[in-house]
Amino acid sequence: MINRKKILPYLLVSPYILHFLLFVSFPVAFSIILTFHKWNIISPMEYSGISNYIQLFNDKTFFKSIGNTLIFLVIHIPLQITIALFLAEILNQKIKLRGVFRGAFFLPVIVSGVVVTILWQQLYGFDTGLLNRIFTGIGLDKIGWLIDPKIAMPSIALMATWKNVGLYIVLFLVGLQTVPPQFYEAADLEGASHLQKFFKITLPMINPTIFMVVILSTIGGFSLFIEPYIMTGGGPLNSTVSAVLYIYKQGFFYYHMGYAATLGLFFALIILAVVVIQKKFIETEN
Amino acid sequence: MKILINVIIIISLAYCLTGCSSKKNSHNEILYWCSNNVDEINFAKEIAKEWNQGNPGRPVKYQPVPEGRSSEEIILAAVVGKTTPDIYSNMWQGDVEAYAQAGVLVALDTLKGFLDFIYERCDSAVIDEIRSGDGHIYQIPWKINPIMLIYNIKSINDMGLSGPPKTYSEFFDASKKFQKDINGDGYIDRWFGYSEVLVTWWQRFFDFYPLYLAASDGAHLVKDNKAVFNNEYAVEVFRFLQTLYKKNYFAREELTARQDVFLASVIATRFTGPWEIAHAEKFKPKGFEYDYTTMPVPDGHKGPVYTYGDPKNIVIFKSCKDPQAAWNYIKTMITEEGDLKLLEITNQLPRRKNLNRNPVFSNYFTNNPKMKIFAEESKYVKGTDASPVLKEVFDLISQEYEACVIYGEKTPEEAVKDAADAVNLLFIK
Repeated sequence: MINRKKILPYLLVSPYILHFLLFVSFPVAFSIILTFHKWNIISPMEYSGISNYIQLFNDKTFFKSIGNTLIFLVIHIPLQITIALFLAEILNQKIKLRGVFRGAFFLPVIVSGVVVTILWQQLYGFDTGLLNRIFTGIGLDKIGWLIDPKIAMPSIALMATWKNVGLYIVLFLVGLQTVPPQFYEAADLEGASHLQKFFKITLPMINPTIFMVVILSTIGGFSLFIEPYIMTGGGPLNSTVSAVLYIYKQGFFYYHMGYAATLGLFFALIILAVVVIQKKFIETEN
Repeated sequence: MKILINVIIIISLAYCLTGCSSKKNSHNEILYWCSNNVDEINFAKEIAKEWNQGNPGRPVKYQPVPEGRSSEEIILAAVVGKTTPDIYSNMWQGDVEAYAQAGVLVALDTLKGFLDFIYERCDSAVIDEIRSGDGHIYQIPWKINPIMLIYNIKSINDMGLSGPPKTYSEFFDASKKFQKDINGDGYIDRWFGYSEVLVTWWQRFFDFYPLYLAASDGAHLVKDNKAVFNNEYAVEVFRFLQTLYKKNYFAREELTARQDVFLASVIATRFTGPWEIAHAEKFKPKGFEYDYTTMPVPDGHKGPVYTYGDPKNIVIFKSCKDPQAAWNYIKTMITEEGDLKLLEITNQLPRRKNLNRNPVFSNYFTNNPKMKIFAEESKYVKGTDASPVLKEVFDLISQEYEACVIYGEKTPEEAVKDAADAVNLLFIK
């Protein structure tokens, strides 16, 4: 006789275990196996030893794509945190139409990434784009937003910031509302300025939120794909090829599945290392 | 009891899911995937209907290739999932070698009557072009859309030219005359031509590759697993295109997101195919006149001007139970009558010899004079080389094209050499 009480917990967790085995463990294990093979999907897999790893360390474009991703992160994360915190601080005050502004800033988050990207592609147009029309209208030179290799990635970072900032405003608003008002009242009694209150009370108190925002932005930034894929295709001169776009290209354009898996694994390790370093750094600061 | 019910539900779901991907055609039926373009669906419908009337024992079920981002991806997914049709009629010639090497295509030259029929229909040069590296033939040359230079007749006349530019020098002269800053903001906003600046590999079918074929009289890019394009022709083409961008004769930014720049006279020329005719006829402004001519060639070039034909061919997958019957059906698609139907219904050119002189088609070309220009050019059309890594070859050329032609970071000699070296590395691996 089977003990129903003993079986029930296993039955209850079995959907998750099944999902985990099928969609997490198996793909991860399979991709690790793939890193030692050459496979173009339509022909049988061929064992290739560590040749994919050797190829990786000689692949200048892959390291350029990691460099591009880091450039994106270096611009995007500080810009996003600064703007989101600034706007959250304003939207946390009792200003008129606060609800409307909160909704307006969040709107881009729920709009499809593809739609936003196509919209900004129009804004960034060299000859017909609105931004350059404004620039020439006030006597400034046109900017090659997406056609100048030095400016294309910052342009994408700016667009991504506009798209995502609403989400981080919400997170910061939650953080700001958890700061006990007594702290500010006490600071007021001591004659502290707005800036002093911000740096001495607000920032330390919302440190866990900042940590979460940094981690989320970093992981989000590392997965940069739609924007360069649609806007620039990785150009000009590979200046906007992100690591994920490059891995995608190797996998689903060249069908170098083994090599793409190797790049993916290596890139996952880089993300892990960056997140661990960030965690240590922010915890130390805390 | 509940566990038993759950098990039954799971098994039923699994059965449904696997059942969805399995072929539903009966044993006798030939499954034919055509392109999902409306005209080609109509063509397939008509041909299949005729076949089915005469062959009730071996019916053909036509079906547009399932929707996806590209038909190439759908075919790949079908090959991987082992759900390929028996016949597919929109295969890009450059993809065939990879599938042939993977062993998923039927060697057509082993079928009865194939070689006799195909030598009757096509020039031997075309048959050499489609022959695979292993000596077999896995594809039937079906249709082409040659790339030529479309030009605005009024723009050419207004510049006082006697006709469209034929050589690089003539092209530069016309470009210089046409280029203009119309709104006076200090930036050129009227260019002689436009070609997509994106680095996407297939964009080179509309600039570098047809120009290279024109300059070199149809030379190969790769042959016997080696890059053979590090030559004066490729360098000349790169230099020609680089000059067009350097002197702002061609726009560097994407112009596709606005009103058709050719019909709006923002540009006077474009490298394009016969599909532009239907579009231009539908949307051209009143009084707008255009025509086609051959691709520009280096000064002093003699003889016919070759171009890229963007060939789409027919293949039979090994999943087909009766390849001979499938071939018999395909034959009805590509007879003279079938090709005339293709022209009339789709306005796409069949890849057959003497197309411009064959009386079967003369009525069509009399009624469609612009298509006649393409039919004349069809004698000098080239497809792609047989290589399983052709997309990568074009991608590597495209990378160097961007560095040299668009951004002037490399000289044409350096760019062509670097592209050829990179392509040769592909074959070493």
